[in-house]
Amino acid sequence: MKRFYISPPVAALILAVVLFLLSGLLPNGFGKDIHVAFAQATNIVRLSVFLGVIAAGQTLVILSGYEGIDLSAGSIVTLTAILTYVTVNGRDDKVLSAFLISLIVGAIIGLLNGLGITFLKISPFVMTLGMSGVVTGLIIIINHGNVSGKVAPIMTRLIARPLTPKIPIPNAIIIWVIFGILMWLLLERTAFGKHIFAIGVNRITSRLSGVNVTAVNLAVYSLAGALAGFGGFLVVGNTGVVFIALGQPFLFPSIAAVAVGGTLLSGGKGSYWGTMAGAIVLTLITSLLTTMQIPDSIRRMVLGATLLVMISIYGRQRGFRQ
Amino acid sequence: MSAALSAQHVVKRYGGVVALSDANLDIHSGEILALIGANGSGKSTISKVINGVVDLDGGQLLLDGKLVRITSPQVAKHLGISTVFQELSLIPQMSIADNIWLTREPLKSFKVINRKLLNQKTEELLSLFDGTLRTKFKPDLPVSALSPDEKQIIEILKAISIDPWLIILDEATASLDNRQVERLFELVRQWKAKGKAVIFISHRMEEIFRIADRFSVLRNGKTVGEGDIKDITEKELIQLMIERENVVQFTKVSAESESQSRTKSVYLEVENLQTETLHGVSFRVHEGELVGVGGLRGQGQRDLLLSIFGDIPFHGNIKIKGQSIHFHHPKDAIKHGIALVPGERAREGLLYIRTVLENLLLPSWNKYGFPLKIRKAKEDAARVGDRLNLVMASLMDPVSSLSGGNAQKVVIGKWLLRNPQCYLLDDPTKGVDVNTKAEFYALLTNLSKEGKTILFYSSDDDELVGLCDRVLVLHDGIIRAELKGRTLTKENLIAASLGVSNGGEA
Repeated sequence: MKRFYISPPVAALILAVVLFLLSGLLPNGFGKDIHVAFAQATNIVRLSVFLGVIAAGQTLVILSGYEGIDLSAGSIVTLTAILTYVTVNGRDDKVLSAFLISLIVGAIIGLLNGLGITFLKISPFVMTLGMSGVVTGLIIIINHGNVSGKVAPIMTRLIARPLTPKIPIPNAIIIWVIFGILMWLLLERTAFGKHIFAIGVNRITSRLSGVNVTAVNLAVYSLAGALAGFGGFLVVGNTGVVFIALGQPFLFPSIAAVAVGGTLLSGGKGSYWGTMAGAIVLTLITSLLTTMQIPDSIRRMVLGATLLVMISIYGRQRGFRQ
Repeated sequence: MSAALSAQHVVKRYGGVVALSDANLDIHSGEILALIGANGSGKSTISKVINGVVDLDGGQLLLDGKLVRITSPQVAKHLGISTVFQELSLIPQMSIADNIWLTREPLKSFKVINRKLLNQKTEELLSLFDGTLRTKFKPDLPVSALSPDEKQIIEILKAISIDPWLIILDEATASLDNRQVERLFELVRQWKAKGKAVIFISHRMEEIFRIADRFSVLRNGKTVGEGDIKDITEKELIQLMIERENVVQFTKVSAESESQSRTKSVYLEVENLQTETLHGVSFRVHEGELVGVGGLRGQGQRDLLLSIFGDIPFHGNIKIKGQSIHFHHPKDAIKHGIALVPGERAREGLLYIRTVLENLLLPSWNKYGFPLKIRKAKEDAARVGDRLNLVMASLMDPVSSLSGGNAQKVVIGKWLLRNPQCYLLDDPTKGVDVNTKAEFYALLTNLSKEGKTILFYSSDDDELVGLCDRVLVLHDGIIRAELKGRTLTKENLIAASLGVSNGGEA
C-alpha cells in the first residue's frame, strides 16, 4: 500500500498559505493587489515572531517528554518585558544589559522549574503552574510603585523596522529566521539536542546509554525559561509599553503552536520548524478573525477547534504508518 | 470438601513459541504437589492455565472428572482455585485490608463498606502469621509501606481469603525469611489436613522435599515424570529435568584457554557485592574471558550487572584492572569502556519511535563534534549494521519498524560503535529467533577472541554450557557454584540453580 504522508510542518505551512489566499477574497482583503498581499503576509509573519520565539522554549520542554510543559512562560514574558522596560529606560546603551538580564532571569526561573520537577518530583504541569503564580506575584510587587521606563529607540529599530528601506522585510523576521536556524542546529546537530529527544522517548534507555537525564532535563527547563525571557524582550521592543497581562495571552497559543507544528505532546518527536509554522497559522487565524470583526469568544473557539483538528489529523497519520 | 483437578495434554502457544506442548497434572484434595522444571519449562504457564489467566490452545481440564473451562481468574476463584503469584499483584497506595478484600468488601446497607468487619476479618488473617511480622501490623497500613516479604505474605493472605480448595504457590517462598517459611509450611500442612490441595512451585529443592507429597516434572512444556516424592532422590529429579536428546551445536572459543586465561590479567574483580537481592558475591573475570551467569530467573543476576554498570547503588568493592571503582551513573561505566545490554529491550534498550541511526549513536553523540558530523555518523552506523547483518530498509527508519531480532541487534550495535573492553549482557537472546541467536553466538565468540571481557547472564542453560568458559550460578543472591571445564554440564548447572549443593564445586 502506498502511504500518503505529509510531514506536520509542511501541512501546517500549507494550511497557512491556503488560509491566506482565501483571506484575499474577503471584502476588505488584498484582492488582486500583489503589493498589498505581500505587505499583509509580511505583517502576519512579523506578528508571528513573538509567539514563535516564546513557543521555542515550549517546544523544548514538550520534546523532553514525561508530561513536560511550561505554564510559566507567559508570566516570564511579562516579567522580563517589565525588567527590560525599566532597565533600558530610553537609553540605547542599556539595551545589551537588559537583554542579558532577560535571559538570565528567565533561565533562573526555568532552572527552579527544572529543580522542582527533577528533585522534588513535582509534575511539570503543577510545578510550572505554581511558578507562574509566584512570578505573577513578583510582577505585582514590582508594578505597585508604577513602573516608569521607556523602550530605547535602537530596540524599535532592531525589532520593528526593516533592515534597509529598500528591502521591506522587518528585522524581527530576519531575527526569527536566524533564530530558527540556531534552534535547528541545537536540536539536530548537537549531542544535547539528540539527548533531548532521547529523554523524551525513554529515560531508562537514555540513562543506560550514558545520557545524564537529570542534567539534560535541568538544562531544557533553564533554556526554556531563557527563551521565554528573550520573548519578553522582543515583545516589549515591539509594543513599546508594558502591562501586567502582557505575556499571559501567549501561553495557550505557545502550546498550541507546538502541537499544530506536529510535535508529539508526549515528547520525543517534533521540530522547531513545525512550531514556527504553527505560530504562523495561529497568528494568521487570529488576525483574520480580527479583521472580520469576529468577537473574541468565537476567535477562541476557532483556535481551539483548529488545534483539535490538526492534532487528530497527525494522530491518524501516525496510526497509518505503524 | 473433596475435589480433584486434572490437566490433560495441555497445549499453550504464544505466537510461534510453544510454551506447553503436552502438560499433564493431577491433584487431589489433601495433597501437596511440587511442580518442578528448569527455566522456560512451562511451570508458570501451566499455573496460569489452571488459574484462568491464559486460555489453553489444546488439551483439557477436568474438575472432579467433569470438563471445565477456566476462562478467567474470576471463574477460577468461583471454582475455588486461588494463586499466589510471583509478581506481586497488590495496589501500593491501598491499605492491607483493602487489597485483600478488593471487590469482595463486606458491605452494610446502601453498599457502604463495613470498615469494622473488614478490619476484623483482616486481623484474623494477619494473625495466621503472628510472630513473624513486624509488631503493630495494622490492617489500614498502606501496602507501599511494607517490605517485600510482608507484601508476599499479604499476597498469600489475599489468595486464601476466598477460602479456596486449591492454592497455587508460585515461588511464594522466594522473598520470605526462614521463620516465615516455617509458618507458611505449618499453614500448608493445616490446609492439607482440612482437605485443601496445594500446588507448590519453588526453586529451592530442599523445600520441595520437606513439604511435597508428590512431584510433577516439566521439561520444554512437556510433563516428563510424576510420582511420590519419597520414591525419588534429588539427583533423579534433576536427571528428569535435563533433556538428553537435545544436542545444541556451539563452537567454544576457549575450551583450551583455561590455562591461557590464567596468564592473562584480571579485568574485573568483584568483592562482597551486596544489593537488595545480592548477599555478598565475589568473583574475578580475566581479560578476554567469557563468563556466564546462570541460575533461575530473579536470583540477583540483574542486580549484579546493573551494579557493576553503576545504575543501582551497592555495597562492596569492584575493581577494574586492579583499580577500585564505584560508578554512580552508567555514563561513568561507559567512559571506562563498559557496555550493558539490558534485559528488556523495549523498556531499557531502545528509543522506539526514533530512527535506527539515533538508536545506534545514542551513547556516542558526544564524539561527533559540533555541528554533529552526521555523514560520519551514518557511515559508522552503516558499518555496524553490516557487521551485525542488520536487516532494515534504511538507517532513517524508526526502530519500531524492525523485527525483534533486528531490534536486539541495534541494542548491541550501539555499543560496538564505541568498541568497549567489557560487555555485560542481561539475557540478550530472550525472545530472539533462532538465526539471530546463532549470529549472536558467533559475535560473542569473536568479541571474546578479540580480547573483550564478557559477563553473560542467560536464562537458557544450553547457551551457558555451550558458550562460556566458566559459569557462576546464582541462587538466592549468592554464588552457589562455579562451574568450569568438566564440571560445566547442564546437569550441574540445574542442580546448582535449585540450590542442590552436590552439583558442582560449591
